[in-house]
Amino acid sequence: MSTGARRLSGLQIQVLKLYREIIRAARDKDTEVKTTVLSYARAEFEKNLTIDRKNTLKIEHLLRRGAKQLQTLQSPDFVGVNFR
Amino acid sequence: HSEISRTRRSCNNSIPLISSLEESNSLEEYTYISMQALRNIRGPITAALRGVREPVATVEAPRVFSAAANAPKPVKMMDFQVYRWNPDSEDKPSMKTYQVDVNACGPMFLDVLFKIKDEQDSSLTFRRSCREGICGSCSMNINGQNTLACLCKIDKDAPSAMIAPLPHMHVVKDLVVDMSNFYAQYKSIKPWLQTSADPKGKEHFQTKEDRALIDGLYECILCACCSTSCPSYWWNTDKYLGPAVLLQAYRWVIDSRDENTNERLAELDDPFKLYRCHTIMNCSKVCPKGLNPGKSVAKLKQKLLH
Repeated sequence: MSTGARRLSGLQIQVLKLYREIIRAARDKDTEVKTTVLSYARAEFEKNLTIDRKNTLKIEHLLRRGAKQLQTLQSPDFVGVNFR
Repeated sequence: HSEISRTRRSCNNSIPLISSLEESNSLEEYTYISMQALRNIRGPITAALRGVREPVATVEAPRVFSAAANAPKPVKMMDFQVYRWNPDSEDKPSMKTYQVDVNACGPMFLDVLFKIKDEQDSSLTFRRSCREGICGSCSMNINGQNTLACLCKIDKDAPSAMIAPLPHMHVVKDLVVDMSNFYAQYKSIKPWLQTSADPKGKEHFQTKEDRALIDGLYECILCACCSTSCPSYWWNTDKYLGPAVLLQAYRWVIDSRDENTNERLAELDDPFKLYRCHTIMNCSKVCPKGLNPGKSVAKLKQKLLH
């Protein structure tokens, strides 16, 4: 694996943790909801791939936003994501 | 007939009927009404009586009560430095200055914000709802003090003013802050009546004296001005509940209808939830509704002594 030995910064670990939690939360949903949620999450993360590593302000803002969306995702009343 | 003439007389654009002398309040009024009536009646005889040709429909001139009040106000420009940050842009947060004619604007800071949004920069983002100080949406830091923008009057003698979001809160965009932690803390004190009493369709009764105990506590609009002004809350946002939530905790503790007082007090009995308060008293100074959260926190500490 090429990504095996690199040292990840604290922020990078947090970002990966968030992504993992989203996948875990989406696992228990219905198949079509699950696929939309996963594609939405992937699109959102990929949109922000180009942020500067040092731009902690923006990264933390996005992490907080993601954590809140994760909370909505984890609630039992969650129905789906509507996005283009 | 007299009823009709009285109501007709009070309408704005009505044709007043000629009333009898007994009905009118004075000879002058009788004469005035008769002349009004005459003016509105078409006919060659009355026209001849009046001697002039007037159009039948007369437009009422706008009433000017005082010349001074209606004189156009001079332009008075003031600088407003507003905190701006867009999460989607790469820029860092900054203070942007807007010049507003405060004489062509409403008296409160919320009016200024709307004026800037309408005329100068429509990307300015802020929360607002009632515009009368009851919803608590527009809480922000104005000239260094937390208030509601809809209740904070502009000091027209000052050359400039500063508008910033509530201090030490994560900013979502411009003047909008993330209140979710604040709401979660409010939820954690279980702000509802906990009782086993069954009123059987009626109210939970309490005496007037018991009801008076809640005065000064129920009026809280959860604007978060007090909590965000407390330095202790700044340094322990996650664990210290803050004056707003503690005020509400006290509101439920002293409500005579609530039976779970001991459980509520036991919930607060840890090093952080209540005891981070060091009586700084910024909270009471800053409350836009004039409440006293500092006093409620002290009362809670007293209750926990026993």
